[in-house]
Amino acid sequence: MATGTFSRGMLSVWRSLRSMRTALILLLLLGLGSVVGSLVPQAPNSPARVAELFAERPLLARIYDALGFFDVYGSWWFTLLYVLLLISLAACLIPRTRGLIRGLGSRWQPARDLEALRHYASGSVEGSPEEAVGRARRALRRRGWGVRSGGETALAAEKGLAREVGSLAFHWAFFLLLLGVVYGKGFGFTGQATVIEGDVFTEAHASYDFPPREGRFFGERHQGFQVRVLDFEVAYREGGLPRDFVSRVEVVEEGEVIRADEIRVNDPLEHLGVKLYQSGYGWAPVVEVRHEGELLVSDPLVFVTDDPNDPVRPWRGAIKLPGISPQVGLELQLLPDAAAFVAGMPMLEADDPFLAYRAYRGDLRLTEAQSVFRLEKELLEEYESGGLALGETVELPGGLEVTFRDVRQYTQLLVKRDPGIGLMLATALLVLVGLVPALYSSRRRIWVRAVPEDGGTRLEIGGFALQRKAAFDEEFDRLVRDLVPRGRVRVP
Amino acid sequence: MTEASNTTFGVALALYLVAMVGYLHHFAYRRPTPLTLARVVAYLALASHTVSVVLRGVAAGRVPWGNMYEYASVVGLAVVALYLVVAERRVEARRLGGFVLGATVLIMAASTMVYVEPGPLIPALNSGWLRIHVLAAILASALFTLGFVFTLLYLIQERRERRVERAVAERPAPAMASVGSGLPHDLEVESDPEEGRATVTLGPEQGNGHGGMPEGPTRRGRLPGAAALDDLAAKAITFAFPIWTFAVIAGAIWAEQAWGRYWGWDPKEVWSFVTWVLFAGYLHARATQGWRGRRAAVLAVLGFAALAFNLTVVNLVVSGLHSYAGV
Repeated sequence: MATGTFSRGMLSVWRSLRSMRTALILLLLLGLGSVVGSLVPQAPNSPARVAELFAERPLLARIYDALGFFDVYGSWWFTLLYVLLLISLAACLIPRTRGLIRGLGSRWQPARDLEALRHYASGSVEGSPEEAVGRARRALRRRGWGVRSGGETALAAEKGLAREVGSLAFHWAFFLLLLGVVYGKGFGFTGQATVIEGDVFTEAHASYDFPPREGRFFGERHQGFQVRVLDFEVAYREGGLPRDFVSRVEVVEEGEVIRADEIRVNDPLEHLGVKLYQSGYGWAPVVEVRHEGELLVSDPLVFVTDDPNDPVRPWRGAIKLPGISPQVGLELQLLPDAAAFVAGMPMLEADDPFLAYRAYRGDLRLTEAQSVFRLEKELLEEYESGGLALGETVELPGGLEVTFRDVRQYTQLLVKRDPGIGLMLATALLVLVGLVPALYSSRRRIWVRAVPEDGGTRLEIGGFALQRKAAFDEEFDRLVRDLVPRGRVRVP
Repeated sequence: MTEASNTTFGVALALYLVAMVGYLHHFAYRRPTPLTLARVVAYLALASHTVSVVLRGVAAGRVPWGNMYEYASVVGLAVVALYLVVAERRVEARRLGGFVLGATVLIMAASTMVYVEPGPLIPALNSGWLRIHVLAAILASALFTLGFVFTLLYLIQERRERRVERAVAERPAPAMASVGSGLPHDLEVESDPEEGRATVTLGPEQGNGHGGMPEGPTRRGRLPGAAALDDLAAKAITFAFPIWTFAVIAGAIWAEQAWGRYWGWDPKEVWSFVTWVLFAGYLHARATQGWRGRRAAVLAVLGFAALAFNLTVVNLVVSGLHSYAGV
């Protein structure tokens, strides 16, 4: 009993999925869902704004969270809509495609009652019925109609099959496009790598800034090749607007340089199916810190800016020294071009750079999660501040020696593998190719029948158009004039 | 160069206004002379507008659609050009020039609120795809705008026709001669040679409704029949849809090249998808019994609303990767 109800329920679900209307409604719902995603901050993109909302309007934020509004495109309901849409599309398209294929193979039945069709005309022509139908066949073929014989004295013809073929191509392509998105995500990955000039990046899970987002079926297929960043450069226009960002790199496999290339905005590097995109850049000063003669820090430090579009703003970073007692933290600000900064001009190149520092001591609170670019200052007190020009050294109380050794730049690369790209491109093209005939051509059919009469043949012509009916009025008239040069009779 | 571009822009705007008045006069009084004048002025305005856009491109040293002001200006240009060159080949569309130019004037006036001096583009925008992706978006937007104007007029006319049909159905149909007094005072019935059949439409408030219809031109302020308006709107939207599809696909290809993904649910992408879905819905609705007509028209209006939202609110308020395209 229960299973009966269940299967009846499933059957009705299946039935409604098979209707084009359901597919459309699912598509509209998907659109609606994405609107939510565009208006509510999304946790994967802007976690800070989500946290802000939680702080400011906790109730609303909790409701949003429960509904999955903070990650719409990863939410269960968005996925469900997506899957249902795929099923529904397939359920609509399979019978339609079968119908088209069957229709192609079959012979047409000449219509019985031509006079009942929307368009009908008849008239007298010379010759036998067979000759008349032969002439009509040739005339129709010349005009691009697909003609099928209905015996010696009748024929049927169709035009505009491209509409159905195009429509099906468009819809199947759209189906595959939706599938391709899933495929590409499932088998690909996305990661971000920050690489300082002169350093080498290895394409492996562990060497990304954060764990890369890997597809469910990606496995561990990182390629393991290396990219050495020789140099990063920003080219500027007059007035300080950036014109181009270029990372000059070498691709290294097993210690050997395979190729040298450049990565620019709008011009990624591709190697072994992995693409590297220019996505960001910044300054990395080399600061040496010695404690009682022992070298504690000597690597270049990645600095960040709070607003990448503001070239007047200093870059900032921090050095944390938990190993000495009391713990010491240095808050650093870099002016790549001190003279420009003083003049309020954009700092475009490293020219007479200046490093400002504030030294704090106390407890760094490293047991708690914190940014590497900032100090948690609650348990710290400032005890010294000042600035360093390039090459200068300062001695801080407590046996610390800080040297501003060098300034380098780093490049930020988006690293990505998406095996679905080829499929996406092909299906997107098919969407376009199918769309044009699907929208602009119309299906129309005519039937011709020849009946012998005194001294010749009477030709009867009937037809109809499924679309663009008004345009077919004229076409039909022209056709009739062609097939029956004189003695036309029209039946309204 | 910039100054000349701005001057010709202003001239075009002023001439569009003049042409709009001419078209509206023709719409109201059906005289041929204002129509001819309006068309001449509209072509002059179009020429001036074209000069403005070209000079803007020369001044910036790139294609003249790199920011919101330029985008809106070129959309306005395309609306008028498509109307004059394509839509006006249909005689009944000539009555609608006032509404089309009104929309254009609104778009252009709004664009001056986001005016910026011509300048170079940021590196991410500096690509051959800018030409092709944005141009397609502009063309499709212009066609959707035309479709929107026609759809609104369709909705007005359809409502009038329904009211008349109801009025006719409620009274036993009187003979043609006495129709004038047999219907509510603001309705008129006449035969329309253009559409080859009798249509019933709503006239403007004429006289004071004392008994029969007043003297004078009886075809004042008449919109084309609802069927003709629906057809015009459908033509524009059917023309626009593949171009919009192409614009979205070209955008995806460009995004893959510039940002490393073809689709990232960026707000601009979301709203262009929503626009696409709504117009896809419209096209399907028109082919579905019971959905064509008013319901389909509502989808078209929503589609245009999504398009407009994408250009305005998404550019100016919502932050996303397309933000730099803002002003």
